[in-house]
Amino acid sequence: MEVFYNLATGFAVALTPINLLYCFLGSFIGTAIGVLPGLGPPATIALLLPVTYGIPATSAVILLAGIFYGAMYGGSTTSILLNIPGEAASVVTCLDGYQMARQGRAGAALAISAFGSFIAGTLSIVGLMLLAPPLAAFALKFGPPENFALLVLGLMMVGYLAGASMTKGLMMACLGLLLGTVGLDPIMGTQRFTYGVFKLSDGFEFILVAMGLFGIGEVLVNVEQSIKAEVFQTKIRGLLPNREEWRTAAAPITRGSLLGFFIGVLPGGGAIISSFVSYALEKKLSKHPERFGKGAVEGVAAPEAANNGAATGSFIPLLTLGIPGNASIAMIFAALLIHGVRPGPLLLAEKPEIFWGLVASMYVGNLMLLILNLPLIGLWVKLLRLPYPLLAPLILVSVLIGAYSVNNSVFDVGITVAFGLFGYLIRKFNFEPAPLVLAMILGPQLEASLRRSLIYSRGDLGVFFERPIAATLMALALLMLLSPVFRWLVSRKLPEIVGPVSGPGVAGDKSDVASK
Amino acid sequence: MVRRDAAVAALTLAFGAAALYQSSEFPFGTIRNPGQGFFPWWTSVVLNLLALVLLVQALTSRSSIAQEAPGRIAKVAALLVVLGTYTFLLDPLGYPLCTFLLVLFMLRVTDPQRWWVALGMAAITAVGSYVVFAIWLSVPLPRGSLLD
Repeated sequence: MEVFYNLATGFAVALTPINLLYCFLGSFIGTAIGVLPGLGPPATIALLLPVTYGIPATSAVILLAGIFYGAMYGGSTTSILLNIPGEAASVVTCLDGYQMARQGRAGAALAISAFGSFIAGTLSIVGLMLLAPPLAAFALKFGPPENFALLVLGLMMVGYLAGASMTKGLMMACLGLLLGTVGLDPIMGTQRFTYGVFKLSDGFEFILVAMGLFGIGEVLVNVEQSIKAEVFQTKIRGLLPNREEWRTAAAPITRGSLLGFFIGVLPGGGAIISSFVSYALEKKLSKHPERFGKGAVEGVAAPEAANNGAATGSFIPLLTLGIPGNASIAMIFAALLIHGVRPGPLLLAEKPEIFWGLVASMYVGNLMLLILNLPLIGLWVKLLRLPYPLLAPLILVSVLIGAYSVNNSVFDVGITVAFGLFGYLIRKFNFEPAPLVLAMILGPQLEASLRRSLIYSRGDLGVFFERPIAATLMALALLMLLSPVFRWLVSRKLPEIVGPVSGPGVAGDKSDVASK
Repeated sequence: MVRRDAAVAALTLAFGAAALYQSSEFPFGTIRNPGQGFFPWWTSVVLNLLALVLLVQALTSRSSIAQEAPGRIAKVAALLVVLGTYTFLLDPLGYPLCTFLLVLFMLRVTDPQRWWVALGMAAITAVGSYVVFAIWLSVPLPRGSLLD
């Protein structure tokens, strides 16, 4: 019963006119950036972070979360109509969605994807609502050794799941940890690695790093690739799927929702991997796997449900353990920190209005997205005709203004441009920026918990292996470290099942890229 | 890709060695009471180990060296130079003029558009964003000597 009471409190927060407005804005912007190839949710959230300074924490998180899950809805539109995924999480939707469009079923594909997303979104909010409170209560028992083990496991998983190479993922994480050490020492409060630069005395501003890596980095990559898109020239009619299509899609939507949710809960397992895995699963379960890639409804329904389920699921480690599992969630983590709210087990007890307000806003947001994505599909198709060369300067100028406005400083613009260059270079060498930003944000916590644990245990490293929770988490981390063999097997199997994905210009939230 | 990975690994090793050296400048402390240098030192060690693993993977990999399309790297490099210059000129020239020139560059050189489109977009972006951010939202964007 307590859940219902809390949810009612949440709705009281989410349904205030101002929060409804932010929820709508988030869903709208999310859909727009989901539709537009070349701008992903982490970059957009980073861009809008400075805008959220002046609004209450709950409204900020409602807005930013709306962008994140809204992008999952919008991403499918380009996959279906253009064979170009608006978001990396919609890559797999191209396979059958575009084929459906070619067969004159574009409307049905868009509707199945929107309804699938809605059902998955709603189901996974229920999961979030039921799972988060007990997990947060459990995490309250954590001391420094458990926290350290949890953070190690989180970083290991992000390194494991982000990008094609675990070595490269972990290298990025180490680099992020080192960047996180610039500025104040978390225990002694003295300065490190500032080299006399006053502006670095508080460390690198996370927002600047994120805006550079994701905002400028993505623009540079897209400038090199030169995105060109032609909208599939057909009139979208018959928006509602027929009875047969509904019947075929029902089970894949349910399976996709559940699978997506649970994969989303894992740090590093996000929307992208869940969409691939659910597509592979449906193809395996199907009596007619040969239909996949030729316009199978299940091939649209399952991955689209899964990426939405995962988007919601990824809020669980953030809100209960204080661990952001992907780059977009890391931005929301940063937004909360800016507002003086530390995400973690205490959030539910200390700031219930934020947690329950967010949960309730997700119900509202999903409903808004359904309306935004179906009757208004024509609007998004028009947006698709906006050429990227005209969009790129706007993105770049927004990043530069955003960077300047953090501290009204040109120095910050320089830092952002430098990280933009770095973001471009690492992408060229097949590194993913997500582990770096996550490690950077978690670094000070990791260091503090390690040093506190060692002081507490008087230098006995056994403290990480003797206490049951810490030991279990460390064992899992170790397992993860030794898992490249398993990963190698999976990466050989997945492309076999999914098949090659065509379509240039995959941009967006590559924060949680699975092996493709 | 193989040769590139080896180069990145070598570069990371150099960076890791520098990080190790810099970390050792801070008090390391003891395992009972770790000091300021403890965590960055160990992180640098792990980074170096990972770079070594990448180096070994790159040198022992049998996959062929990926041929990269000529691409438009020159355009990216030029844009980066312009962005760097933008940062330096932002204070003396002011936001509106710098932004006008940046957008004009992108629309004439990076992805060439017709002159009137480029000029129009550059003017609208520079003036429009200045009005919204500097005047409405009171972000003190540099005005430059022209507007002062």
